[in-house]
Amino acid sequence: MSAASAEALAPLEQPPGSLISRFIWHCRNNPKRELWFAWGTTVVFYNFFTISFFVLSRTQPPANPALDAQGAAHWFEKNHYGILLGFAIMFLVTGMTAPQNALIAYSMRRMSISPTFGYSYLVLYSLSAVPGMLLLCIVLTVGAMRPERDPQIQQWLFDLGFLSYVGTMGVFLIGSIVWMLAILIDKNRVFPKWFGYLNLCNALTEVVVSPAWIFHSGVFAWNGVIAWWIDMVVFGIYTGVFLTLLRNMIRREDFGTGVLPDLPPKQTLETPQLAKAAS
Amino acid sequence: MTTRAGADAPLHGLDKVATKAQATKFIPGQPDMWAFVLFETLIFTSYFVVYLLFRTQHREPYLQAQADLDLRVGIFNTIALLLSSWAVARCVQAARNGAYRSALTNAFLTILFGFVFFVSKVLEWVKEIRMGNGFTTNEFFQHYFFLTSIHCLHLLIGFIVMGVVVYQLWHPKRRSQELVETGATYWHTVDFLWVLIFALLYVVR
Repeated sequence: MSAASAEALAPLEQPPGSLISRFIWHCRNNPKRELWFAWGTTVVFYNFFTISFFVLSRTQPPANPALDAQGAAHWFEKNHYGILLGFAIMFLVTGMTAPQNALIAYSMRRMSISPTFGYSYLVLYSLSAVPGMLLLCIVLTVGAMRPERDPQIQQWLFDLGFLSYVGTMGVFLIGSIVWMLAILIDKNRVFPKWFGYLNLCNALTEVVVSPAWIFHSGVFAWNGVIAWWIDMVVFGIYTGVFLTLLRNMIRREDFGTGVLPDLPPKQTLETPQLAKAAS
Repeated sequence: MTTRAGADAPLHGLDKVATKAQATKFIPGQPDMWAFVLFETLIFTSYFVVYLLFRTQHREPYLQAQADLDLRVGIFNTIALLLSSWAVARCVQAARNGAYRSALTNAFLTILFGFVFFVSKVLEWVKEIRMGNGFTTNEFFQHYFFLTSIHCLHLLIGFIVMGVVVYQLWHPKRRSQELVETGATYWHTVDFLWVLIFALLYVVR
């Protein structure tokens, strides 16, 4: 272990004080501040994502793909302000996915594996955001901009928006498999192996979405029970799990190169250890 | 679940208690793979529930469509996969006893029976499509093609897993018993899921 990592391991003696003063102290002194920033940004991003997609724009759960041209035009009229406001937020915060991808790539760089895994993941997920999220936001905002437009064109935008979002989930598949392989062959125990297998479960559910390109209704349509609802539940669990495991990884990080140490057991935590764990 | 202590000679008193405790704690392969088994089972259960719910709502059309499925093909598929599971169980047992040559033979047998299943499944798909039963024909065949193809995807991943098992058994410097058992656990999951799919698609009428 290098001198720098030994120094980083030294327990932090944070001064007593208000929450704000302690926060500022950590921003100045905590050696893991960049990692915590990336993790916090990820959590904030998912909150914005949920509000924009589920509450404001009503694009999740997706609208009915069986709607005809009039129905699609009416959908744009009904959700006009929600789409504009919800996606205005998304345009502002989409960049927050960059620290998230960087943190996940960092987790792979901390493993005992080739850096190509981290780099592949970073490039894959950076590109995936374009068809996987941004295109929907742009296309549906275009639809909401002129609600009086020809209903045929509105339906075209409606189809393009939802299919680009739900139908292209496969673009995330290879990223999940890269992460899975990295975890399974890693010897530094950065993540538990079961999370590697959970990546496979997540990747397999992303395959299930592909029939959304064929069906206008039923369980395999883009709002179907199998193509969307079950996948969304799996993705929700997967996201909750990886956020928790990334948090644990930061807490365990020693800035070394070998096996990532375990967290000390909760019952035997002494004050200096608590400070160390918090750092 | 297999227990190592299961084959031991009869024991008495404290030894027996200690062995029993060890036996109940023993999990074949990585415990992490069992988390995968549990999660995949939950996901497949949700697919089965959806299928059964829709089937209950449209009983007649489902029964009519189902009549086009040949039960004999389903039975042949099941026997092929059960044989492959039997071979992988023998592979684990042989590896535990240090009989690596036999373990390798059984690993190859597993792959062979898996391949027989795969070929027969593809032939069945071709036959159904020629009969006019495609993925978009009706609800029953939507579920049929979906469940059988997502299962086949698991089988294809299983071939990669068995490749890892063969790789482990091949060289004396590797031979991780844990990885061999983890691979076998995955293969049994593929088999176990097929038995459920077979029961729901072919048998329940």
